[in-house]
Amino acid sequence: MIEKTVKIINNAGLHTRPAATIVKLAAHYKSEFFIHKDGLSINGKSIIGVMTLAAAKGSSLVLTFEGIDEEEAAKKIMDYFKRGFDEM
Amino acid sequence: MPRQTKNIFRKENISVGYFYNHIKDRFNLTLASKNVGFERLITDQNLHRPGLALAGFVDLFAFNRVQVLGNTEMRFLQNLSREERLASLNQFFEFQIPCLIITDNNKPQPEILEMSAKYCIPVFRCKHPTTKATYLISDFLEDQFAPRISIHGSFVDVYGVGMLFIGRSGIGKSEVALDLVERGHRLVTDDVVIFTKKGEGIIMGSGTDLVKHFMEIRGIGIIDVRSMFGVRAIRFQKRLEIIIELEVWDDKTEYTRTGLENKTLSYLGVEIPYVKVPIIPGKNITVISEVIALNYLLKHYNYDASKEFKKRLTKKIKDNTDNDHRMVDYFEHDFE
Repeated sequence: MIEKTVKIINNAGLHTRPAATIVKLAAHYKSEFFIHKDGLSINGKSIIGVMTLAAAKGSSLVLTFEGIDEEEAAKKIMDYFKRGFDEM
Repeated sequence: MPRQTKNIFRKENISVGYFYNHIKDRFNLTLASKNVGFERLITDQNLHRPGLALAGFVDLFAFNRVQVLGNTEMRFLQNLSREERLASLNQFFEFQIPCLIITDNNKPQPEILEMSAKYCIPVFRCKHPTTKATYLISDFLEDQFAPRISIHGSFVDVYGVGMLFIGRSGIGKSEVALDLVERGHRLVTDDVVIFTKKGEGIIMGSGTDLVKHFMEIRGIGIIDVRSMFGVRAIRFQKRLEIIIELEVWDDKTEYTRTGLENKTLSYLGVEIPYVKVPIIPGKNITVISEVIALNYLLKHYNYDASKEFKKRLTKKIKDNTDNDHRMVDYFEHDFE
């Protein structure tokens, strides 16, 4: 299992468009992908779940990946978070 | 097995303001003092009746709890002279108590309000008698400080039985939930379910305030079950009674055949009946879910079909007299 901590850096936060992109990215991989914040653990492959986090700029999330392609999944998704969802 | 890491959550404190705003209408609570000290924190779910502390014995005084002053305490204070009252209350308020609740419609003495203003500790009044007020407030605080767990799944009330569907993303949990709603059952929430332990052995589930009864159906997008199916199709909370894990049929897994052994899954230390249902084409998971719910109800009313069948089999083996296996002894004339 891979565990990473990320910060939301774009102004608009984790809103609908990035949520949809994350879910689509995650769907490419077999690995389980969970996002944890404030005691909520949500499945990163579900759009409603990701939007439930309502993560604003500056909030910090823990991502976990588990499965045969976890490394690649973690790399791709972490990269998208670090790019500020391409909104920087 | 579903993962259970990092998804357990428990509040460490609530502010007095939060506490007051959430219970003032429910339990008839009014603010007796000035609007002070609402930022104070309540860190303990228990209440305390400070009789001895008021009398001057402050060893082991549970000052960090919400303090409840009932008839006894109020009468005790009333019987003191003003100086004694001030001294007693001063010692009492010096401890950093979160807030004070005076029950049974008692009126706070002016000295209580003086101390409240001096130490910035809010004083509330409650119309209910002490026992009832204590019960109501304890119940609220217990819920606030209860452990919670968030689970990825769909939670539906099927014939009054709280059923949680879990399984990997995309297996069709939401579709089953939607199908159940279509057949007249009620959706509690889809996708993110928050379960809270209530008392011993009860797990209550509800959705998140953002999602409520919205759900995502792949290929359609986000739909709102409440506006689409109406208020009969939803509910806000339900006790968790059965967990159903959906999974793709696997030849290597052994699925329950007789139903004699009851599997459970532990959520927050409570064992919940757990069924694994394999999905294969042509299998109607909705109907199977309804049957699981009905079977659960039958068991609840003391009829366990698998045990009943076992009993019949044992009897048949033991008697072993009649070799005629047909259910009907003799077909009378009833043919076309």
